[in-house]
Amino acid sequence: MTSSTGTAEAERLLTRNQDDFSAPADGVEESIVSVHHLAKRYAGWTLLGRRPVDALNGVSLTAKAGDVFGLLGPNGAGKTTLIKILLGVVKPTGGTAALFGEPVGSMAARQRVGYLPESLRVDRHHTARSALRYYGRLSRMGAGEIERRSDELLELVGLRGRDRESVRRFSKGMYQRLGLAQALMHDPDLLVLDEPTDGLDPVGRNEVRRVIERLRDSGKTIFLNSHILQEVEMVCTRVAIMARGRICGSGTVDELVGDVRSEQVTFDLLLPDATDPSAVLLPVFAAHEASDLNITPMDAAQGSYRVAARLPEQKQVDEVIDGLRALSISIVKLQVKRPTLEDMFIKLVSMPDEAN
Amino acid sequence: MLPYVAVIRDSFHAALTSRVLWIAFGAIWLVLIALAPIGYREDFTTTFRSQDFHNGTRLKAMLAQGLVDEQAKETPSGRIAAVMPDDLARQLRRVGEGDEVRIRLRLLADGLNGCLDEESWYDAEAWKSTLRFRELRELDQLGDDLSESQRRRRARLRIEAAFPGVFEARASRSIMLTYAGLDFPASYAVDKTRFLVLINQYVLPLIIEWLMGFVLVFLGILVTASIIPDMLQPGSLHLLLSKPVSRTMLLLSKFFGGCAFVFLCVLQLVVGLYLIAGLRLDLWNIRLLWCIPVSVFLFSVFYSVSTLAGLIWRSPILAIGVTTIFGTICMLVGIMGGVFDGLVSGPAAIQRLTMVGDTMMGATRGGGLVWFDRDENRWIEVFESNALSGDRVIAPIALGDDLAATSQVKGGRFNPFGSGALDLMVLSRRDDWTPEPSLRLPTATSAIYEAGDDVLALNTGGLALAKKSTILAAYGSDEGSDSSGDPPQQQQEPAGWLAKLTNMMGGATSGFTSILPDRVSMTPPRSVLVDPSGRWAIALMHGRLIRLERGTNTAGPWTLVTDRTLPGEPSSRGTIAISGKRMLIARNEEPIRIVDAESFEPIAQVELSQALAPLAAVGLDDSGRFVLMTSDGRCREVRVSGKDGSTCQLTGPLPFRQVESITTDQQSGRLYVVHHIDRIDVVDPSDLSIVEQIRPSLQRWRLIDRYVMSPLRMLIPQTGELGETIESMVSGKSAVTIDDGSEQGQVVRYDILRPVLSCATFITVMLGLSCLFFATRDF
Repeated sequence: MTSSTGTAEAERLLTRNQDDFSAPADGVEESIVSVHHLAKRYAGWTLLGRRPVDALNGVSLTAKAGDVFGLLGPNGAGKTTLIKILLGVVKPTGGTAALFGEPVGSMAARQRVGYLPESLRVDRHHTARSALRYYGRLSRMGAGEIERRSDELLELVGLRGRDRESVRRFSKGMYQRLGLAQALMHDPDLLVLDEPTDGLDPVGRNEVRRVIERLRDSGKTIFLNSHILQEVEMVCTRVAIMARGRICGSGTVDELVGDVRSEQVTFDLLLPDATDPSAVLLPVFAAHEASDLNITPMDAAQGSYRVAARLPEQKQVDEVIDGLRALSISIVKLQVKRPTLEDMFIKLVSMPDEAN
Repeated sequence: MLPYVAVIRDSFHAALTSRVLWIAFGAIWLVLIALAPIGYREDFTTTFRSQDFHNGTRLKAMLAQGLVDEQAKETPSGRIAAVMPDDLARQLRRVGEGDEVRIRLRLLADGLNGCLDEESWYDAEAWKSTLRFRELRELDQLGDDLSESQRRRRARLRIEAAFPGVFEARASRSIMLTYAGLDFPASYAVDKTRFLVLINQYVLPLIIEWLMGFVLVFLGILVTASIIPDMLQPGSLHLLLSKPVSRTMLLLSKFFGGCAFVFLCVLQLVVGLYLIAGLRLDLWNIRLLWCIPVSVFLFSVFYSVSTLAGLIWRSPILAIGVTTIFGTICMLVGIMGGVFDGLVSGPAAIQRLTMVGDTMMGATRGGGLVWFDRDENRWIEVFESNALSGDRVIAPIALGDDLAATSQVKGGRFNPFGSGALDLMVLSRRDDWTPEPSLRLPTATSAIYEAGDDVLALNTGGLALAKKSTILAAYGSDEGSDSSGDPPQQQQEPAGWLAKLTNMMGGATSGFTSILPDRVSMTPPRSVLVDPSGRWAIALMHGRLIRLERGTNTAGPWTLVTDRTLPGEPSSRGTIAISGKRMLIARNEEPIRIVDAESFEPIAQVELSQALAPLAAVGLDDSGRFVLMTSDGRCREVRVSGKDGSTCQLTGPLPFRQVESITTDQQSGRLYVVHHIDRIDVVDPSDLSIVEQIRPSLQRWRLIDRYVMSPLRMLIPQTGELGETIESMVSGKSAVTIDDGSEQGQVVRYDILRPVLSCATFITVMLGLSCLFFATRDF
């Protein structure tokens, strides 16, 4: 029952025109990232001849100022290609993409972008401070500004005190923090973070997450590419889910999850008279429009049963509880299960191409 | 530019943290420490060495004569021969008795060295008849108030005076190399100036060439090959490309930054060598620092290949492999180019051109003799040019409009004394210039000159004359009997062993008469100019300038009418030319002097760049204009001007390049410029305009050389030839003269421009391709 309902919701989302995902809510001028029908075809070769690979198939999306935009998708979905295009590393074969209204790859666009790559590689001769100085110069910053920002950012990412240590001694987490600091060095208006918490321990993840939240709160626009759905769910204001080079779904987390909101409630009950539990229980649930009812005996001899039902509203849950108690049925345990972004993600990415 | 400067600075930073760099630094410092104790000590040139002999055969003969000829026993050579060690004296007696005895030069040198400490052989009276140069006269004036070195020097000069025409010109001071205060076993008979030139021109460039060309370039490629592939790592490249920087400039910055490694190594090595040369050898040659950019330039040729390979394959190993293959190809093409230079184009270069009537005849560098067939537009070989044979051809002269004379010295470059048969060869147009033997030339004849009805032959110590009619008679031509009313003058030939000794000493052979007055010896280095009508001859020899004029007695020695010693180093090579009443004297590292052709009174002088050496000069007409050929393969006009003719002007280079030789045609007065091996431009002397261009058609290997090897050498950078650029920059010279037994020596021009252009073009193309690839490629 759950499956059929979820699929239906996903289909409803997917029947929306792709352009709907890119429709800016508050006018074009506020769009930080603006992508329209973006396509990328890589030339591929096999022994049998040319086999081009379509990495992006008409992707459209928009991120507004202040958004923390999460980009989700399985491996090979085209996320990295999309980010590379946004950074100007890869040239699109179709469609348009702009940052701050400037074509992607232009100097003006890149001047306002800070990027944290997935596996940051800092030359081994650097310390954290010298690396920040180097990347600051690449971002056309002056020496004084570099020193000032370095102090601030090293403090922010927790590398103060280890800033003159060779990066050779850095752990993966320290590298990521350094990467975050360099991305923020020139105070960019857009941050593109590719797996920012990858390889970090829970404490590190939490720290990075808090930095992102602080940046979000300070009004920065963040474009976040992550496999960790919980993380995206926690920090992102808008999310796009990609699969096979297309956007499968986009919107706020609530919008995405809310579309399939239909909570499943599980009751562990102890019936005083267990001769015919269905006869006792069905009327109670049916009276409150419960759907997908499922009664499972746990210890029939003792009158212990588990009942699962879909009850969209809290009021219905309350009324069912009242009904059960009126029949002197003991409620041993009550569990309400909400659908998650992961549920939605799995549903969307597992949809066949035809559905997309 | 700030971001790109940051990339370059970062590369320096990376290089300085490289362990390999510090290992290289350590190795460089070890080399410098090993070289630092080298020093030198200067002393008089006293000890004889085998390479000091210009004509060992003559020395052997003179010593032998001194031993066996009673009349020669009290002559200087006889007195010295008398004190030779017993073993050597025994061998010399056998020579005097007519036996073929091979005596090593080293043995002769040892014998003479024995005379330096004990001077019982000296007799002032006997030496009065010898030619004593200024240095010996000055030492003689000092009497016994001499140091040990000066005394030994005086003894050597007395010995040299006793054997004229035997010794090479050597500087009066020698350099003794020391290491940590200890003398090296070898000393060098050169003065300090020449020693420093030697160090500048050979030693330092060689050290730098080897260390830079091989060790550091290879090491540099090993270290830097990973820079580009490392940059292309996703975590590094995407971050760099996300910055507001141009891809092209980023790549170029990485490229130049990659050169940082070699720059830092070269900087230390060259500055270290500069300081050692300055502090230890007193050689503060700021030009040595040019080696830094040239070496980095050399490295960048290979690094440009490594960069492109690294971009395409993103693998340091492949980048190193491709660069190594490229280096091997460069080396192979360089070797092939060298082989073609040495065996094909080099030997074919016409070193001396002579007009015989309307036919051009040339002596080639490869010991060949050629004449130009205008109908077929090609050079026809009389003697084949062959670099490996070592033969040498004496520059031909015209005996008439249809006759020429020359001689071929077999194994000439390795047998400069021309021992063995040396016949004057006569070539006739009637016989298609087939050479036929005529008179036997004096031993070790190195040049012949036309002198009116006579021919002059210059050998190691003398100048001998033969009548053209005698020559033609010996050739068997009918023309000889008609050309002169004088009967052939036959010299009274001494009989038996004495005749043999006379021949060995280079004395006049049958048909030739010595024209040199007493106490005149044609000491090298020398340059001789003979009046085509045979009235006079002028010779510059060992810094001494003499004018000889034919006396009334046509058979006897000519009269020495003017004798002047020129300022400057006597052993400097030089050239002379006459235009009207003015004579041009151009010697290495001396200003060009214009003097009166009869009195040798100085008229004017003009400075010639220190980088240039004068190689040949011709007078254009009688108005005091000359064309000077210099070591850079160019020609310059020297003009005497001013109301009183006391101003001398040197023009910029004339529009001829790679000039091999210049000559004037006595009949037409036109200037013939041989350039680019065997091409000829005929020039009107009045305005130096080209009136005819001769472009001979090429045959076989020359075709391959021009249309295959030359383009290949332009396409593939000739990194090996950059060594010549280094040598030229360090020495400040455009050419080097190698003594090959000929009068002028073999001039090897430094090819500076071609390797630089070829390498610069290559680097530009490779970087262009790299930038195009990097700018357009998705990463």
